[in-house]
Amino acid sequence: MSVEREPILELRHISKSYGSVRALTDVSFRAYSGEVIGLVGDNGAGKSSLIKTISGVHNPDSGELFVDGVARHWKSPHDSMQAGIETLYQDSGLAPDLTIGSNIFLGRELLRRGVLGRLGFLDQKTMERRALEELEKVGITVPLSKRTVSQLSGGQRQAVAIGRAAMWAKHVIILDEPTNHLGARQSLEVLKVITAAKEQGLCVLFISHTLPHVLEVTDRIIVLRLGAVVRDAPTTEYTVESLLGTITGLSV
Amino acid sequence: MSIVETPPPQGTAERPPSLLRRCAALLTSQQSILLVVLIAVMCFFDFHNSRFFSTSEFSNLIVDFCEAVLIAAAETYVIISGGIDLSVGSTVAVSGVVGAYVIQYLEGHHFGEVPSLLVGTLVCAGVGALVGIINALMITRARLVPFVATLVTLSAGEGLALVFSKGGTIGYDPVAAVWSATGFWIFTWLSVIVLVLTAILGIVLHVSRYGRYNFAIGSNPFAARAAGINVNRHVASVYILSGLLAGLTGMIFYFQTSGGAPQSGIGNELEAIAAVVIGGASLVGGAGRFTGTIIGVAILTVVHDGLTFINVATTWNEVVVAAFIALAVLLQSLSAGSKKLL
Repeated sequence: MSVEREPILELRHISKSYGSVRALTDVSFRAYSGEVIGLVGDNGAGKSSLIKTISGVHNPDSGELFVDGVARHWKSPHDSMQAGIETLYQDSGLAPDLTIGSNIFLGRELLRRGVLGRLGFLDQKTMERRALEELEKVGITVPLSKRTVSQLSGGQRQAVAIGRAAMWAKHVIILDEPTNHLGARQSLEVLKVITAAKEQGLCVLFISHTLPHVLEVTDRIIVLRLGAVVRDAPTTEYTVESLLGTITGLSV
Repeated sequence: MSIVETPPPQGTAERPPSLLRRCAALLTSQQSILLVVLIAVMCFFDFHNSRFFSTSEFSNLIVDFCEAVLIAAAETYVIISGGIDLSVGSTVAVSGVVGAYVIQYLEGHHFGEVPSLLVGTLVCAGVGALVGIINALMITRARLVPFVATLVTLSAGEGLALVFSKGGTIGYDPVAAVWSATGFWIFTWLSVIVLVLTAILGIVLHVSRYGRYNFAIGSNPFAARAAGINVNRHVASVYILSGLLAGLTGMIFYFQTSGGAPQSGIGNELEAIAAVVIGGASLVGGAGRFTGTIIGVAILTVVHDGLTFINVATTWNEVVVAAFIALAVLLQSLSAGSKKLL
């Protein structure tokens, strides 16, 4: 990695308060394409506030945010999506009753050509076919007999959700606790997709409480405590114990 | 001779289900079973009174079907979006009464029969849409639960229909009565309009982007919002559509009874919801088929008319309807992969 490489995402001195509660204090970091960054911290450390700032759910009180070298100011989550950032929240996920293709293209439906398309008719066949193609690119093979998302296992669902984010994101995907509630084997599926997304040149922000997963899949870990960055170092410099110590602030 | 290698199986991907299996799935789907039930019920009535399969009885059935189908279609949209609209029945009453009042006023002022009826139709639709807007505001702005919000308009509409009409039927409209009886074969022109409108509603629900959003919001509103769908705007539009269709049903009742009666449509919301449930839609939203609702309406209509036809007291109607709801729910729980029960 050359030193002069431009960061795809850069935060400079971001601060955010909710009333009298200081959620983020002077947070700065840089993230590069093809990099998985772990974002860890105890409850209330500011992880959620930070991802909401990056994804445009709210604006910081002060500080600057750059995407691909351009200073950005989000008015809504839609703006950050336009700029190439996809966020997968814990509670959002997928619509279980819809087919996999419908979920992948949700909010970005392909319409039929001609008059029918103008009337809002969907091109379902193309959507289903392209969804499977795109998922395969990040190493997800969905059994064709499984039509709706509700028929998939928890791990498959999460993998499809991440595949969806990776398909639409130009630069960054933010994953909030993607391995929560998943068994060991299912988590492995999800981590595989994260690696595939990274190999496609995306920058992945991985938020998780499961430290072994963070240590396994990330290149760098940023530790937040009480709204401030307390450590930002390559993953190789951490162990589970030292990471836990940094998160809690109790030296080990 | 070299050994020809067979190509390795491609990954873990399975082959798409065969034609045979798809046919089997189609035959065991809830709609197919319901269709068989519908035909069986009709045969039962014909067995008891051999004139059930007749053009005269079928034209009656279609008239009654049309009185019920639009609000059931509206309820299908609402329920799939994860809500419920209890107000459709009393919206039929209040819009019919107001529409009748306007038509009577216009005809009394030499406005002409046909223009008066057209204006009346627009007024009915407008009153219905207004109720829909009130529901939409209560649900999306005041964040009331749909059940409570539409219970408010249910009571208000029922009361207002009585207040406006002073308890009696407004107007006697021979022109409307004559026109509503004209048509061809077993169809009246009015029923043709209603059936075309119903078909459009079904197509929109299942193949358009609007319909897709309806399913997505009912299935997971958080995912829909995260995908950039304006959930509030869509939900509001669904309740307005529902009110609009209830308003048009008010006009259908006006034509059918040649006047605006405050009792028209009262209680019909439960029939509409029953049709949707029989049709297999999930009351928690996200799943359902428009054709299921249509067959549901057909079954309820046939049962209602058929009991009269074989001289069974209509008071038995509700009991038979209850049996069909129970049967439908049972079917739903038996069908594989359906975890969503009531």
